[in-house]
Amino acid sequence: MPVIEIRGLTKRYGPTAAVDDLSFTVDRGTVVGFLGPNGAGKTTTLRALLGLVEPTGGGATINGANYRDLTDPLRHVGAVLEASDFHPGRSARNHLRVQAVAAGIAATRIDEVLDLVGLGVAADRKVGAYSLGMRQRLGIAAAMLGDPEVLILDEPANGLDPEGVRWLRELVRGLAEEGRTVLISSHLLAEVAQTVDSVVIIDGGRLIAQSSLADLSGGIRGVVRVRTPRARHLADALERDGDGVAIVHIGADRLEISGTTPERVGMLAAELRIPLLESTHEAINLEDIFFQLTDSPAKQEVS
Amino acid sequence: MMVRLIGSELLKLVTVRLPAILLGATAALTVLIAVLIASRAGGGRMAPAPLDTAEGLTQVITVTNFGLILAMVLGAIVSSGEFRTTATATYLATSRRWKVLVAKLFAASLAGLVFGAVAAGAATATGLIWVSAKGFDTSLPAGTMLEYAGGAAVGAALLAALGVGVGTLIRNTVVASVGILVWALVIEHIGGGLFSSVAPYLPFTAASTLAGQALEGDAIALSSGAAAALLVAIAALVAVVGARTVLRRDIA
Repeated sequence: MPVIEIRGLTKRYGPTAAVDDLSFTVDRGTVVGFLGPNGAGKTTTLRALLGLVEPTGGGATINGANYRDLTDPLRHVGAVLEASDFHPGRSARNHLRVQAVAAGIAATRIDEVLDLVGLGVAADRKVGAYSLGMRQRLGIAAAMLGDPEVLILDEPANGLDPEGVRWLRELVRGLAEEGRTVLISSHLLAEVAQTVDSVVIIDGGRLIAQSSLADLSGGIRGVVRVRTPRARHLADALERDGDGVAIVHIGADRLEISGTTPERVGMLAAELRIPLLESTHEAINLEDIFFQLTDSPAKQEVS
Repeated sequence: MMVRLIGSELLKLVTVRLPAILLGATAALTVLIAVLIASRAGGGRMAPAPLDTAEGLTQVITVTNFGLILAMVLGAIVSSGEFRTTATATYLATSRRWKVLVAKLFAASLAGLVFGAVAAGAATATGLIWVSAKGFDTSLPAGTMLEYAGGAAVGAALLAALGVGVGTLIRNTVVASVGILVWALVIEHIGGGLFSSVAPYLPFTAASTLAGQALEGDAIALSSGAAAALLVAIAALVAVVGARTVLRRDIA
């Protein structure tokens, strides 16, 4: 049974639909990247899932229940939504105390989550003096207060420096190893590609793709270039070998092969005792696939 | 559950600076006004009654208006103050928004009690010090002074609850606070002066009745019980309207 289920979710603001009949699921114990360009409807979807935004149509559930019907929601779901969600004049520790008291969570847990995100030393400073990266860490600490099995992170890498991004990646991997379910949004596939099991891609509030990373890149396998004295033989064999293989002959001894893998080309050549004098593989960049799918200009801002 | 939420709301108040600043302002402004009145007491036809009379001393020890007004401003901050900061965190922890509103009503009322008590304490202390410095006899029984102080505390508590409702309807803290000040200092003052039959039913006037202040002109004050009941009713009405309208809006 999926932990998170989005069913026909629609949210209209006047005539514009921020989210348009969106459906997808997240299975227990998986890390799912929720991707789309800025303005695709990611945040609205997550806020609707968390009961902060009232859907115009459809619904979203966690463990089969609306967020608003969960008792002690912080013990089931931890969420990081945006880095400005703090009072600038309150210390990090006090922010967590306020949350812990409301949720009935023991005060001892506060130091645990502060240590988890590396804010132990700065815990008594006012959040107004925090960098964006420190606020993201505080947001994650707050999300972890209730030791939840489900984590929802909206653009958690925003404002993190490269070291912070690596720290976040390791944290999310650690959470996944503990069997938690993580839904993590980003406008950059590369940011989450090393962390997630599968991706949900939306654009214009609509679902573009839900698949594993392997399937996403498998659809378009890149190009294998070989040089061989028996180019014609190899080309015939490859064409017999599988559907969707496309071959371009370059000169007498060079082939440009797409729709298959470099491994398959090498195995086939070996079986037929065709010598390969050169073989290179140009993989399709995941980010390119993402931008193709979402029709975004390839020069998307990089934070 | 509700105890947890009220505790969380109170913790919000003591972990930032503004509530303490408002409380300090309440004490300072109350002492200032009490000193001004005491220094003019018995000074002639237009001046307050002399301090060795019950009327004169009452005028000094019941100048608790800043406690009442700033308690209501605090109430508005309790509710509206979250919308640009911690609303998301609050409603993630407690997704039933009406529960948060009820907790805010109780927490603000408790804070309002403190505001009213501090104002009454500051005014009463000023009056008594003045009286003893002049070598007068204290012209009011302790019980009456306690009754006024208790009334100021209850009045401020109920106005703070009303402020929570106002801040729920008007999410912009500055607009809500300025609106409360304008209402208290200008509209209710002028309106009450023009329509003396309506004056006793206006919220600040009702609260100042509780605090022992005499009404201006020929208006007849409500009894303490009626004034308190009226304030409870107004606060509840505004909170319910807020809960059914603005409170339901998306938190984005």
